Amino acid sequence: MFMRINDLDRLFGTMSLLQKKLDNLNSDYGQSYGYKWEVEGNSPRTNLYKNGDNFEIYAEVPGIGKDDLNIKIQGNYLEITGTRNSDAPEGYKTHKIERGIGAFSRSFTLPADVDSSKVEATLKDGILYLTLPKSEAAKPKKITVS
Amino acid sequence: MDKNQEITKREDKNIEKTRELYEAIPAVDIYENEDEILLHADMPGVVKDDISVNIDNGTLSLSGVRKLASKGLANWEEFSDLEYIRSFSVPQTIDVEKVDAELKDGVLRLHLPKSEAAKPRQIEIKTA
Repeated sequence: MFMRINDLDRLFGTMSLLQKKLDNLNSDYGQSYGYKWEVEGNSPRTNLYKNGDNFEIYAEVPGIGKDDLNIKIQGNYLEITGTRNSDAPEGYKTHKIERGIGAFSRSFTLPADVDSSKVEATLKDGILYLTLPKSEAAKPKKITVS
Repeated sequence: MDKNQEITKREDKNIEKTRELYEAIPAVDIYENEDEILLHADMPGVVKDDISVNIDNGTLSLSGVRKLASKGLANWEEFSDLEYIRSFSVPQTIDVEKVDAELKDGVLRLHLPKSEAAKPRQIEIKTA
C-alpha cells in the first residue's frame, strides 16, 4: 500500500504522544505506584551514587537494628545481609500484617575496587548509608606530560 | 511534521506539576488488645519533623515525606524522595488526646489508647 511520508510521520507523532502519556501515568495516578518494603524479594532497595573518589550506597532497611545487619566487602564485591525480626507485641490480637519479616541479602559487584578498611557505614532512620572509598589503584590519576 | 512537534511541545508546557513527589502507601501492621490499638508503619528515611499524624472525625491520616540528600551521579536509583500517605478509619472509642507516636529506625509506631468507656468491663453478678 502506498503511504505518503507525511502520513507515516503523523503516525509516529501519535505514537510518541501515546508513549509520553504512558510515561506520565505513574505521576498522574500516583497511587498505582505500590511501594512496600518487602522481604519476600529478599533484597532491600538500594541506590548507588558515584561521588568522586567514593561510592555511596543507600539501602532501605526499616526496623532493622545495627546488630541485625552484616556488610561484607572483598575487592569490588559487596554483600549486605541481615534479618528483620517481627516486632509483634505480646498479647495483642493481629488485624493486619503487611510488613515482611525474615532474612534478606543483597550483593553487588561495584564498578571498581574499594578500600575495605576505609568503608564507613551509618544507619539512620531506617536507611543504611555506605561510603566506600575507591582503592588507590582504581582512583583516577593525573599524568603530567614531561 | 512541524505541526506534530508543536503539539508535543505544547503538551510538555501545559503539564501542571503540582506534585513532584511520588505518593506511596506504607506497609503497616495493626494490633489490638483491650487497652489500645497499635499501628506500625514502615517509613524508611523519613525524619521526625516530616511526619504528620492527624486524627479528624474518625479518620487517621499519616503522611511522611522522605528527602534524601542525594550525592553525586546515580549509577542506579531504586528509591527516591517520596511521600508516604495512608489513611485509616478509627473507631470513635479512641482517646484522641492520649495518642502517642514514636519513630525508630524508620518505623513509625502509633499507640491509640481506647477511652475508659470503651474498655471491656467485667460485670459482677450479685446474688439476690
